[in-house]
Amino acid sequence: MSVHSILNHVLGEDLPRSLEVFAPELVLCATVVLLLLWRMLDLHQRIPTCWVALFGSLVAFFGVFAQFMYLKTGGAGVGGLEFLFDQWRLTPSGVGEIGPYFTGLLVHDQFAVFFRLVLTLFLVLVTALTILTGIPDAEDGQDFYTLLIGSTVGMLMAVGANHLLMLFLSIEMMSVPSYVMVAFQKGRKQAGEASLKYVVYGAGIAGVMLYGISLIAGLLGTANMPELGERFAILMQGEFFSMSNTTALTLVLGMMMVLVGLAFKLSLVPFHFWCPDAFEGASAEVCGFLSVASKAAALALLVRFVLAFQGTHESLAQLGILFGIALGTISIITMTFGNLAAYSQTNLKRLLAYSTIAHAGYMVMAVSAMLVILNSPSSSVGVGQAATCIEGLMYYVAVYLFMNLSAFAIVALLRNETFREDISSYRGIISGSAATKVLCVCLAISFFSLVGMPPFGGFFAKMMIFYSALQAGHAHWFLWIVLGFGALNTVFSLFYYLNVLKAAFISEPEADAAPVEVPGMAGAYVLLVTIPILALGMSSLQGDLTATAKYVAASLFQ
Amino acid sequence: MENVGLEMFLAVSAVLFVCGVVCMATKRNAIGVLMGVELVLNGANLNLVAFSRYGSLGLDGQVMSLFVIVLAAAEAAAALAIVLAFYNNHMTVDVDQATDLQG
Repeated sequence: MSVHSILNHVLGEDLPRSLEVFAPELVLCATVVLLLLWRMLDLHQRIPTCWVALFGSLVAFFGVFAQFMYLKTGGAGVGGLEFLFDQWRLTPSGVGEIGPYFTGLLVHDQFAVFFRLVLTLFLVLVTALTILTGIPDAEDGQDFYTLLIGSTVGMLMAVGANHLLMLFLSIEMMSVPSYVMVAFQKGRKQAGEASLKYVVYGAGIAGVMLYGISLIAGLLGTANMPELGERFAILMQGEFFSMSNTTALTLVLGMMMVLVGLAFKLSLVPFHFWCPDAFEGASAEVCGFLSVASKAAALALLVRFVLAFQGTHESLAQLGILFGIALGTISIITMTFGNLAAYSQTNLKRLLAYSTIAHAGYMVMAVSAMLVILNSPSSSVGVGQAATCIEGLMYYVAVYLFMNLSAFAIVALLRNETFREDISSYRGIISGSAATKVLCVCLAISFFSLVGMPPFGGFFAKMMIFYSALQAGHAHWFLWIVLGFGALNTVFSLFYYLNVLKAAFISEPEADAAPVEVPGMAGAYVLLVTIPILALGMSSLQGDLTATAKYVAASLFQ
Repeated sequence: MENVGLEMFLAVSAVLFVCGVVCMATKRNAIGVLMGVELVLNGANLNLVAFSRYGSLGLDGQVMSLFVIVLAAAEAAAALAIVLAFYNNHMTVDVDQATDLQG
């Protein structure tokens, strides 16, 4: 094929469709360029850069929202939706068509669009939070938002990765800006140390991951993810899957190396060392971003990666069961370690870091259950049950966004008043102004939801994941053990969350402490991100989100 | 040149990988650790290029290694800036001195 014909092919069919699907990311890229120009042209004196960033991320959010609704309604939107579809020029052969784009590097499907929606919504909310707390000051605004948006673009590509190159590139694209964001408060000694630890671990693990990718790609002769399973089945034709088989051993080694990279991003034990340190050193806004956005993107990538190795061949089934059980074991260790280590913490950000680790464990439980169900020889479970796991996972991610954002927003807003982040600085803050009282109540709601108490959103999220593990137990008994540890950990985790709430609600304030007076806008913002936790627990929205998650999950297994 | 097969390249890349990992694990100087990372990345690059020459990976392998080279440069730039920030606060680049955050 000559260069001319390749160009013709690419420009003729693939490119217009790709650009249509990729438009929100392009908007974010344009925002980054605009942010940098803004400073150069001295416009930031008149309009602060934060508003440019907020505007750009809002436009991108509506772009992804339009794509999501277009897929869901089949292009038959009315009123405002139709206007959105027109503005983004969505067509049935472009966004309306599921499948790979950019010559197979990325894939466009309901699963990717759902995660892109979550990520862009989160970007809007975090940008709004940074405007409220003023963490990048007016001079540094453009640098901070460039990093924030750049990292988000990496995550948006991660959720649609369809090629091993994209898997590596997107992980790096979301990591490198976040290393710098952790170090953003240059003067603080802790920020430099946190970032150094993060970058040294991160860079080392990225190298290991790339080596794993090179082994997989070389062994299977392709880097296109949907073909990986098929190629492995061809290589294993007539051979028995065991650790003494060189082909199987090399693939398992390569996959393990890639999973190390993903486990690092998800902060699974034993690759979690960076997480508490990075969270303590970084500002609470950045912690919120790291704990939700990079987790969600890495989780989507994990699902895509393990699903690449699905097939009908016997050796693929054994591989799936092997990794399902390995992920289940990691999930047990991660949950238990995260919850136990959280007990002895005095810094609230560090405590939330360990809570993040524990929650990563719960979420990986769903992936483990899915793998075991999909590859089980028993006929009692099938694709329907596997879809339930993904459904639970997506519900969890959606609720987790609001729970963790609310918790970290409260930490950031109270830090602006008290200049402290240790738990003892929360003593008796309920006696502050009306907005402070709102913050306290929201803290309680978000913490109870993190524990998984009914009737908050976190309860339903946890229940769905536990239910999927229960079903997977029929395929392999090991998942029942994972489930048991999950239930036990839910009880463990209650106490350290309650400890913080006890300080805020019951303890007497410290003798020399002035009553905390947070601004009214802060109360309003926290209320805005906390209401969804309640709504996803006890209003009709709960059913809506379940139905949406079900529809997205079902489309993944078609 | 004809006797040099895929195995030779894989052996060299494996040696590079192991050297890099050992370097990352034993060096106490942050710059030294970053040099170890470069060795690991280049080991993987060598793998990719060798597979594209001798295996059925085709041009994909070479394109991937080009992207990795660019990315390694970007990562090194960010990492060195962070090391510099650490040096400004701590007057050292010894990773063992990073002990303020613990628990």
